Amino acid sequence: MRWLTEKNIERALAVLWMLLFLVFLLGPLVVVVGASFGSGQRGMIDFPPREFTLQWYFAIAPMHLRAVGTSLLLASCSVVLAVLVGVPAAMGLVRSRFARKGVVAAMLRAPVQLPAVIVGVAFLQFYYVIGDLSGFYLTGSWYGMLIAHVFVTTPYVVSSVTAVLQRFNHQFEEAALILGASPWSTIRRVTLPVLAPGVLSGATYAFLVSFSDLPISLFLASEEVKTFPVVLFQSMDYDFNPSLLAVATLIIVGSFTLMLVFQKVMGMGTLLRSNK
Amino acid sequence: MERGAMHIKWEWVLIPPLLLSFGLLVASQFVFLRGSFFADLGVGRLGNTFSLGNYQRIFSDGFYLSSLWLTVKLSAITTASTLIIGFPVAYILARMRSKVSLYLLATITAASFVTIVIKLLGLNIIFSSSSQLNAVLIGIGLVSEPITILGKTEGVTIGLMYFTLAFFVILLYGVVLSIPRALEEASQILGASRLRTYWRVVVPLALPGLVGSSLIVFNLCLGAFTSAVLLGAGKVLTLPVLIQRTVLLDTKYGMGGALSVVLLVAGLLINLVSLYAVTRLKASRGMTA
Repeated sequence: MRWLTEKNIERALAVLWMLLFLVFLLGPLVVVVGASFGSGQRGMIDFPPREFTLQWYFAIAPMHLRAVGTSLLLASCSVVLAVLVGVPAAMGLVRSRFARKGVVAAMLRAPVQLPAVIVGVAFLQFYYVIGDLSGFYLTGSWYGMLIAHVFVTTPYVVSSVTAVLQRFNHQFEEAALILGASPWSTIRRVTLPVLAPGVLSGATYAFLVSFSDLPISLFLASEEVKTFPVVLFQSMDYDFNPSLLAVATLIIVGSFTLMLVFQKVMGMGTLLRSNK
Repeated sequence: MERGAMHIKWEWVLIPPLLLSFGLLVASQFVFLRGSFFADLGVGRLGNTFSLGNYQRIFSDGFYLSSLWLTVKLSAITTASTLIIGFPVAYILARMRSKVSLYLLATITAASFVTIVIKLLGLNIIFSSSSQLNAVLIGIGLVSEPITILGKTEGVTIGLMYFTLAFFVILLYGVVLSIPRALEEASQILGASRLRTYWRVVVPLALPGLVGSSLIVFNLCLGAFTSAVLLGAGKVLTLPVLIQRTVLLDTKYGMGGALSVVLLVAGLLINLVSLYAVTRLKASRGMTA
């Protein structure tokens, strides 16, 4: 048996391990997608489906779509604000000169180190206090959620832009300046294009973190304003509606498409490098 | 124009975002943590005299202490199991020479970003009493009644693994990439087997990165709420679940704040001790080497 070499055994073991890992990792997602095409009655879900039907896709409640809309809008606005706050923060952090930079970097990273439950509870009480003082309550409002989401997503932009800036050669900017470009046009035409991949991967992280968050939104949501994870969470706890499987499937497909497009356009390396 | 003279005071660029970020951090945490030093009067109101009563209760009541221990224990078990599953995966991905690895990475990254609530929904379907898996297991006589993961610490551990596994693999992938492939080749040319190379070259070189990523994942587990609350079904009360219940159900903000402080401090201490242990380990190795 000449094919039974050490190298082939190693390769077979590697493939086997990888396959088992993928089955384990993707199993629950595959089950959700599969069950969304099933005909199980309310409260009963069948997987693998006995027959293929799109009935749950036609039964998606407007309230669930509204929740997905809220999640998308919230994540998009969080990303825009996180970039507006995070890019100057990263540039200022990398380029200024002062002692104890590490402390400032740690302060900027703090929001992601805190457990999300604690962030959620803390913002809830913070909003109560503001409300008691000003009469303007942010609890249960869309803006209240937005502030908390920007708070937790900004560090992702800061760290990915910082990673790019640290590798960036200052001489390009110097060259532009020496050749007579104004500081503003140097930033606009030299610095920002170089930063773009860092901004894009930070923004992607920020979007997905905001879009998939449960604990923070759970504390700050109200009957009127709910994100999709909150709706799904509440319905899993009480009365499960199988049309949620259809919505979940759309989200799974959306997330994978986004990642594959990212890989095609930018390459995974960009995204992974910035995740330090 | 002098060298590198972009006339921008970067300190001034840093200050507004820093103030905003730090302001929100301090303001939100201050209100919450300050409350931990005041007694709860019911319906969300706090007393107005400073007291350590909440902390005294936590450290004298076996209920709270066992919740703290459970949280730490489940986080440690989860971190260890995900490390054992995830490190070989990261290693294979990093050493793969084909482009398939990039698509696998994209898949794993996408999986890590699908909200944990959807993954738990899938897990619930897999382990429901009428599921195919249970039917097969009962059919071949492996179990006599359906396996359930609800309300059990094992179930919560599995849920926590789904919360961290994909992300852990991505972190570990970076760690393996930082080890030069040439070192492994050298070891094999000198006659070491693949397995020996793995244990004597790859793992020791990866150790600092392994500890760092494991701590990140351990911290994630300590604060993990969704898996514990959905799979724990009110029976597995880790600290994050207890914090949510204390605040939302009992409206005891003081106690909720005190529990949060305990969770944060416990996490910080465990991290400091581990980092100290690793530094000592490295130092002692450096001397003997």
